[in-house]
Amino acid sequence: MQKTEVINLRSTCILSAISVLALYAALIFSLSWFLDLEIFKQEIFSKRTLFSLRLSLITATVATLLAFIVAIPAAYGLSRFNFKFKDAVETILEFPIIVSPAALGAILLIFFNNPLGKWMQDNLITFVFAFSGIVLAQFVTILGMSVRMLKAAFDAVSIELETVARTLGASPKHVFLTVTLPQAKNGLIAALILSWAKAIGEFGATLMVAGSMAMRTETLPVAIFMRLSSADLEATVALILILVCFGLAALYVVRRLLKGTPNA
Amino acid sequence: MLEVSNLNVQLGCFSLSNVNFTLNQGDCVAILGPSGVGKSILLKTLLGIVPIESGSIQINGANIVNLPIEKRGLGYLPQQLGLFPHLSVYENIIYSARAKKIPLSELSPHLDQLIEITEIGSLLKRFPASLSGGERQRVALVRTLAANPRVVLLDEPFTALNASLRQELWWLLMKLRKDKGLSILLVTHDLDEAYFLAENIAVFIDGSQQQFSCKKDLYYQPANKVVAKFIGIKNLFPAEIINENRVSCSILGISYNISKTLLKGKCFLGIRSEHVALRSTNDLPREYETRFAGHFKAIQDLGDTILMQFMTDNGVQFEIQAGSRVVRKYGLLSQGRGVIGIPERDLFLVQS
Repeated sequence: MQKTEVINLRSTCILSAISVLALYAALIFSLSWFLDLEIFKQEIFSKRTLFSLRLSLITATVATLLAFIVAIPAAYGLSRFNFKFKDAVETILEFPIIVSPAALGAILLIFFNNPLGKWMQDNLITFVFAFSGIVLAQFVTILGMSVRMLKAAFDAVSIELETVARTLGASPKHVFLTVTLPQAKNGLIAALILSWAKAIGEFGATLMVAGSMAMRTETLPVAIFMRLSSADLEATVALILILVCFGLAALYVVRRLLKGTPNA
Repeated sequence: MLEVSNLNVQLGCFSLSNVNFTLNQGDCVAILGPSGVGKSILLKTLLGIVPIESGSIQINGANIVNLPIEKRGLGYLPQQLGLFPHLSVYENIIYSARAKKIPLSELSPHLDQLIEITEIGSLLKRFPASLSGGERQRVALVRTLAANPRVVLLDEPFTALNASLRQELWWLLMKLRKDKGLSILLVTHDLDEAYFLAENIAVFIDGSQQQFSCKKDLYYQPANKVVAKFIGIKNLFPAEIINENRVSCSILGISYNISKTLLKGKCFLGIRSEHVALRSTNDLPREYETRFAGHFKAIQDLGDTILMQFMTDNGVQFEIQAGSRVVRKYGLLSQGRGVIGIPERDLFLVQS
């Protein structure tokens, strides 16, 4: 390849990368047009915003932990073992990634209107328009993504290390706890943070299952939707900035954790 | 000790067929073969990672085929060593004690001795990433032996090291074998490593075991042409068995008496390059009955030895290896021509 061609390719690629940054920076910067520091301060310390913030943090944390309880063994199974329908399971796991969260929420809502769903609601736990509904919506949305990220983390752990540990007398459980988990630690924490950040930002499915009731099912994204619906742009900007800060902080931590790995 | 009988393995389109060998207590058997012939698959089969199609794997008479990996009593040292990067050297070497919930005091005398022999005492607090290649090998070896395995499986663990360090570790392994009575199954593609460490060698080529014999037999009597070529014998010439006591090789124009052979029909007559004698004139000792005059086609100085391609006047090419000092002392290469002599006692026959 000629030197000038290399330089052109390099410049074009770097320019494209900077354009991406410029696009998002411009979008975030455009918020400043409606940023009123007095209103911003009032808004972020208002009872309603603090409720939304607390609700989002609690539901996202519970949903992420529940998702991980299911996702860790599932991801390890998919990473290490061959079994019937493995391809089908992996395909289904991509379902929540490609299907709109609103559609996922609608599917959940429809489920709770069929006889089994109604029975569950009447006899076990109420999901529709409730705290548990928010957790369920976030859980369903992040589960597929969590399994995929955790599987990538387990795939990165050498099977040979596990084999050696077994020959040293360790049971499969001991190997998982003392070799696999510590080796996959950074990938697991990164997956945990990204899933949690995704759960915090979840909107479509939450709106379908839990609705948008102020001071009841009003998570941060729902609060943004409600403020925007009432044309309260200054409050909307304040809430957006909180959400953006959470997202960027999560991404920063993940990049630090994955530094030096192929996923970084 | 370890007895593998009629073992057959099928892994996708690759198969290992009819593997048979025995490893006695305190001995070392080398599984020797080029890359990709299934040597590592054989180790994984012994460990229980790859299932067997048929056959048996016994240790001290008990079939271990259905035992989980951790109950087989096999130590495993892979090529990449498998040191746990998140654990210190000390934590690595006591991993087996923790896994088996053995009090460290029980392990201590054995472990202290291993640490002393391998001289890794100063490394205990360090992590694997900060160790040199040789240090990592020694730590991995100690960790494997600390688990007190009945048989140690070594999967080309010294391949990545330079020649001097590799030899240093061979000596260390020999010392550990002597002191601890280790039984070792070594997988390698390195002929020197197999000859250095093992008493018996199983040669694998294309997924099948070609020969299992003591190293002397492999050296003097390879089982067939494929094995002969693999162990580096270049001088192989088509021959024919006339009867069980006589063989003829038309390309060399010789026929001679042999002791009773089971070979029949067409075969190959071989001689190792280091067994061919070389002189500048026809003054070879009497035992070199078969002689050829010719010229040197190519010469390669390997330091302590000189490798030569010698073309006889009737167009047969030989490879000859001779000590550099001898070659220089007698000026064997000065005239570009010479005479080679082949002693009948060093000729051998292999099946084609």
